[in-house]
Amino acid sequence: MLATIVDTQALLKTIAASFIAGVGVTMIFSIAVLGASRFADMNRDGRPAAAVAFGLLGVVALLAAGAAVVLGIIVMTRK
Amino acid sequence: MNNDVVMVIVVATALAFDFTNGFHDTANVVATSISTRAMAPRLAVTYAAALNFAGAFISLAVAATVASDVVSSGAITPTVVFAGLIGAISWNLITWYVGLPSSSSHALIGGVVGAAFAAAGPDAILGDGLVGKVLIPAVVAPIVAFMVGGLAILVCYRAVGRLKPGQVGRGYRLGQVVSGGLLALAHGTNDAQKTMGVITLALVANGSLAAGSNPPTWVIVSAASAIALGTYSGGWRIIRTMGTRIIRMDPAQGFSASGAGAAVILASSHFGFPLSTTQVISGGIMGAGAGKRVSAVRWGVAGNIVTAWLMTLPAAAGIGALTYGVTRIFGTGSVGTIVVAAAAVALATAAFTRRVRAGTPVPAP
Repeated sequence: MLATIVDTQALLKTIAASFIAGVGVTMIFSIAVLGASRFADMNRDGRPAAAVAFGLLGVVALLAAGAAVVLGIIVMTRK
Repeated sequence: MNNDVVMVIVVATALAFDFTNGFHDTANVVATSISTRAMAPRLAVTYAAALNFAGAFISLAVAATVASDVVSSGAITPTVVFAGLIGAISWNLITWYVGLPSSSSHALIGGVVGAAFAAAGPDAILGDGLVGKVLIPAVVAPIVAFMVGGLAILVCYRAVGRLKPGQVGRGYRLGQVVSGGLLALAHGTNDAQKTMGVITLALVANGSLAAGSNPPTWVIVSAASAIALGTYSGGWRIIRTMGTRIIRMDPAQGFSASGAGAAVILASSHFGFPLSTTQVISGGIMGAGAGKRVSAVRWGVAGNIVTAWLMTLPAAAGIGALTYGVTRIFGTGSVGTIVVAAAAVALATAAFTRRVRAGTPVPAP
């Protein structure tokens, strides 16, 4: 009865999209924060190679988080 | 002539509701950013208002649900829509007065359902749409936001737990500017559409628009403007409840909570579920608090919010039905609508004046 009333497929897609977007973007952004923080630490400790590696990690993660947000908005506007 | 007068009052009332919706729900959107000092209060409110406005243009799926899936279009008249709106505005003002973040969306749907029931009986209510598109998502969405917020904060702490708090805090405050902006966009998308849906419903009932039509551009622009203005005006009482009374947030929790809320609301708007942004962001905040430490959530405050949620649909429906009855005492013309609208404005002004005279206990931080 309830299954006929509720658009189960749309509801499940909503739940899946919420988890992927909410947790996924948080994870990627946290990696960006990690990269930026470790970059500052390594720079201060005089370890340039490690600093560059963490800096790159931070920049790539930040770009990925930004891209994920933009992609999400584009998907929303396309219905 | 009578119909035109009623339609003008209905549109003005709908836009007034939209304004109170923005005013009431500002807290949902900006509380986490203000509470963690990611943004200054006035800047956060201005930023949210601008993105609320933009969000209203993103999609029309929720407007379509409100306009066609909750009550039977045959039972709808402009007076029914008016009575429903008065039910929603009244409940919004009552909960604002006592500082409770209840759902404007459910107040609106409850008000319209109550008024339609009073006007045409139970056949006017589309039970399948009400349960499938409103009630079930209303239960599921905050739970999903709670889980997403909880998981997200665990991910944050796992990634940055051993780093210096100062650096990490700065990073997440920056992230909150984006996630808070997304939340404002999501709020504009989901909530402004409800008003568009209701105005569309009244226009169709009045014969000004063909059944099944999308909201006209002037409806979209005016609804977007009203919610943005309401958001800009802000509701500091509820901001305090949302921002500090449920949990004391650190920047990572604020980021997780607003990110979870934005993800759930945007995904739901895409599929046309008119859910409560208040419930969703409250779920996200509680999840982000419980993910760190279950006892960090002030469950008593959370319980009060849940009680307000449970009361919203029936209370707004009751006021909507009562308003319809009072309107009909004056006959089927526009007199009843005019009298009730005047009384509503007088009561709202009195409540607002009384609250201001009593002193706003929660000044802008």
